[in-house]
Amino acid sequence: MGDFLKGLPSYNERNFTRFHADSSCRTSLQKPTVYISTRDYPSDQVITTERTNILLRYLHQQWDKKNCGKKRDSTHASLDTADVTSPTKVPRLGSTDDNS
Amino acid sequence: MAYNYVVTAHKPTAVNACVTGNFTSPDDLNLIIAKNTRMEIYSVTPEGLRPVKEVGIYGRIAVMELFRPQGENKDLLFVLTARYNAMILEYQQDGETTEIIARAHGNDRIGRPSETGIIGIIDPQCRVIGLRLYDGLFKVIPLERENKELKAFNIRLEELMVIDMQFLHGCATPTVVLVHQDHHGRHVKTYEISLRDKEFQKGPWKQDNVETEACMVIGVPEPYGGAIIIGQESVTYHKGENYIPIAPPVIKQSALTCYGRVDANGSRYLLGDMAGRLFMLLLEREEKMDGSHVVKDLKVELLGETTIAECITYLDNGVVFIGSRFGDSQLVKLNVEPDENGSFVQIMETFVNLGPIVDMCVVDLERQGQGQLVTCSGAYKEGSLRIIRNGIGIHEHASIDLPGIKGIWALKKNSEVFDNLLVMSFVGQSRVLMLSGEEVEETELPGFDGDSQTFVCINITPDQMLQITQRSVRLVSLTDQGLLCEWTIRPEGRNISLASCNTTQAAIAAGSELHYLELAPGKITHVGHTVMEHEIACLDITPLKEGEGRAQLIAVGLWTDISARILRLPSFESLHVEMLGGEIIPRSILMSTFEGLHYLLVALGDGSLFYFSLNPDTGMLSEKKKVTLGTQPTVLRPFRSLSTTNVFACSDRPTVVYSSNHKLVFSNVNLREVNHMCPLNSEGYQDSLALANDSTLMIGTIDEIQKLHIRTIPLGESPRRIAYQEASQTFGVISMRTDISESSGGSGAGPIRPSASTQAQTISSSTGSSVAKPLGISSASGGDMNDFVCGDEQEVHSLLVIDQHTFEALVHPEEAEPKQGRIIVFHYAEGKVTQVGEKEIKGAAYSMAEFNGKLLASINSSVRLFEWTAEKELRLECSNFNSIIALYIKTKGDFVLVGDLMRSLTLLAYKQREGCFEEIARDCNPNWMTSIEILDDDNFLGAENSFNLFTCQKDRDACDAACRGEHYTSPEHSAIRYCSWSCLVAQLPQEFFMFLLEVQNRLAQVIKSVGKIEHSFWRSFHTERKTEPAQGFIDGDLIESYLDLSRDKMQEVVQGLQIDDGSGMKRDATVDDLVKTVEELTRIH
Repeated sequence: MGDFLKGLPSYNERNFTRFHADSSCRTSLQKPTVYISTRDYPSDQVITTERTNILLRYLHQQWDKKNCGKKRDSTHASLDTADVTSPTKVPRLGSTDDNS
Repeated sequence: MAYNYVVTAHKPTAVNACVTGNFTSPDDLNLIIAKNTRMEIYSVTPEGLRPVKEVGIYGRIAVMELFRPQGENKDLLFVLTARYNAMILEYQQDGETTEIIARAHGNDRIGRPSETGIIGIIDPQCRVIGLRLYDGLFKVIPLERENKELKAFNIRLEELMVIDMQFLHGCATPTVVLVHQDHHGRHVKTYEISLRDKEFQKGPWKQDNVETEACMVIGVPEPYGGAIIIGQESVTYHKGENYIPIAPPVIKQSALTCYGRVDANGSRYLLGDMAGRLFMLLLEREEKMDGSHVVKDLKVELLGETTIAECITYLDNGVVFIGSRFGDSQLVKLNVEPDENGSFVQIMETFVNLGPIVDMCVVDLERQGQGQLVTCSGAYKEGSLRIIRNGIGIHEHASIDLPGIKGIWALKKNSEVFDNLLVMSFVGQSRVLMLSGEEVEETELPGFDGDSQTFVCINITPDQMLQITQRSVRLVSLTDQGLLCEWTIRPEGRNISLASCNTTQAAIAAGSELHYLELAPGKITHVGHTVMEHEIACLDITPLKEGEGRAQLIAVGLWTDISARILRLPSFESLHVEMLGGEIIPRSILMSTFEGLHYLLVALGDGSLFYFSLNPDTGMLSEKKKVTLGTQPTVLRPFRSLSTTNVFACSDRPTVVYSSNHKLVFSNVNLREVNHMCPLNSEGYQDSLALANDSTLMIGTIDEIQKLHIRTIPLGESPRRIAYQEASQTFGVISMRTDISESSGGSGAGPIRPSASTQAQTISSSTGSSVAKPLGISSASGGDMNDFVCGDEQEVHSLLVIDQHTFEALVHPEEAEPKQGRIIVFHYAEGKVTQVGEKEIKGAAYSMAEFNGKLLASINSSVRLFEWTAEKELRLECSNFNSIIALYIKTKGDFVLVGDLMRSLTLLAYKQREGCFEEIARDCNPNWMTSIEILDDDNFLGAENSFNLFTCQKDRDACDAACRGEHYTSPEHSAIRYCSWSCLVAQLPQEFFMFLLEVQNRLAQVIKSVGKIEHSFWRSFHTERKTEPAQGFIDGDLIESYLDLSRDKMQEVVQGLQIDDGSGMKRDATVDDLVKTVEELTRIH
């Protein structure tokens, strides 16, 4: 006896009640109609992939974590020594300096 | 330049995924099945599964999951293709029109594909979608509703070899559980996904060293939570501190491959294994003091045997869909009470699956010029041969020699359900046959006019029949009261030339005169008459509107002006005149309704058929189309099969006309000639047809009305190769099976099961041809070793040559290729297969072919030619050694085409005089071949392992084969001969190719793909190393979808398109031109 098979979920108790074994050939005959769309619906959303390299992202995160405390100090310090090169990367402004 | 047309002749049938949910509406319970590139959507109804839509995707479906984000009232479908196109689809129904719109789409294309395949999972709370596409990376698509852009990001996954992965339920942050492998074994880990840091955080628990074959992980829903880990021998429930492993012996025999959840609370699961057994996994619960529920124990119960499951989904009320890749898919019911075999599973319905096809051959068994395809389909216990026939078969049940039949009709006499009379008409006389059981005898019917030719004869009530003869219209009693009423044309003595009737009306033609009569029980009323412009050639008053029983229209075909006309009844108001053109008179006219659409069919004296769309209210004809069915005058007769209307076109090439996907389809019948037919449903011959030709009356049943007819011969093990020997009408089949010897070290343990040949012999009686195959050698040689037998065979003269190479299952990794093999020659005579020769070879014979009366075999890196000597020995004549591994060979004349493991195609020529091979052309592209074929002397077709097709052309000057056409396709089958069927390749003339290419490009614009994948992307030649645009191939599937477009979209496609009108002049093409062209193309398959 399969007590473990009792009380199987039922969403609509009428489903499959009028199923006939001899209709087996019937349903395989009824092929679903093919869906063809000619209307263009713009997607609500576009899935994009972040372009940042995983390693760079990781290093950035590590750096941010490490420097959470320090940063504040360095900003304090920089008030006095403004022309000391900061350890953080700064985009170079002049482009012809080295090439000349 | 190669010009090819590729079209799917049979849509994919192997199921690779299935899901259930509420997709089409909040109240519909849907089953969605993924079959390679197509999705089929079904609704669950009281009658069973109702098909809703079939959706083609421009890509092979790798992941398909339903999910319901917060705030949605129905489910959304996430689909990921094998080429990393992701989409989230929603089904929208607006009255009659349905649209499947992409809510989101995107694409990914970096990295090396993972060896353990694509894994795609969705967080149960729908916060993120997780994808493992490449080793060492986990991609997270956050499902944010507000953003226009779903910014997916990759997370580094330390575990390189992830076997399976799932999301855990009931976690505050999305948490994954995964099974991974390193060189110590397999382990289970959990990770929380930090969406802010885009990193994995340590998860709630982990377990090192789980079972070495742990292959599946299942996330258990609330209230339990946690995960189930499935292995080869054990099932484990894990939730941190709660850890319950069990090792039920019953699951050991085979590997569990898939699961389906039954209860929403996750207390029961269905499991399927490679042996096709279905289990139920139960989580037994325990209530804790604080009212929470925890898992106390696990149990696995064997339910019974089904097909080999690829995916399992629970539908409703104990009904489960089991999708299969290796065999037919099934709909099964789980019963509480086991049947006499102890099985709780009852199979309700099976869905035919042809795949995977590993070999096939084309034969013409009935010698009708109609090839049948015999395929080696399926694998393991679902292995089978499938006989696929194009056209519809009629199976004869009885036949009577009766020459000269001019018409037949089946009638009921005092019978409610079954026909019991058969009226037959001859020149100058008519006869009645009585059917009782399977017996047929001639009978007398009082009042029946037996001395003239009958034009039509039907029941108007169960006890009255109408007989229209040359002389009169007669209402005859079937309760032996004789003639009740008679009507003749005045003046007396004029003959009726044609008639048509239904149960309440009759139309009579005499020359150009047309009479209309109304019928009632015991009464014939002449309502009116008219004179047509010319003599009437054919007429029809079939009621168009179902259930009305009365025709509002009459269709008439005329002599002289060769026209078809529609008149209104009873006024004879002319509604439409259609000039058919030409000089051949219409012989049969019929109004018919297929799939709710009304048509007028007009068959001419030369076997051609015009058909029109007919408006039942206005009588207008439109969309004129013409097909050629035969060469002789054709008679159209309607019949019903499985509650659909079909028309039988009787001629020298009998054809069944039916409708599929709202298009008329013309399918051949396996009979040579039929002059007349009528449907017959008698007690002895139910749902049959009575068919008459010049000499015989035949009663038979008809196949299911579909274009391809498939018959299955189950083998119970994997078929590998098939060959057909025409002289003896035998098939040779080699099959393969793995037997696991339970006793360790047991010597002399014989085969556990008899070979499939035992069953195969029984097939011989059903097909009239014998199946011969070598016995599988399956003696276990100690330990848990498995022996395989596999190989190839080919016929040489009256000998069946079968090769087999036996090797141990414990293939040593350092042994690059098989070193030992044999070619065995068998002789088949009088139902017995005897071995007549054997040849040791140094390697495996991958394929063989008959070649100039000799045997050509590809053995490891060589192609060798053997001669069968008078001493009954195979003698090596010559060899060619220029391959890595020569996997495939094909021959034509003196040419041999060789398909290499990785070096594409090589063409060899055999020099008869020198007795050697010369390499005359080679394709220098590296292609890993899966199948090859010779198209003609200069063109060769190849298929490679990334599902691309390409053609090569022999370059006469440069002694080099250049790759000229490339095309990405999606065959689930590995045999190219199948291309002549499942995927059909045809060569086209250049100009026609250019025309179709233009049509294809326009269609690619007009037809919007589901999930926004470009057609050109889909069909581009794509391998791991390169992607190139498709060239030299026309995508027939896209071209043929033109016929499914609405009229205005058809017009949009055709706008500005130039067509050659046959004289070399170009003119603007019309919709009808293109419809005609495309319809002609659809008829090639």
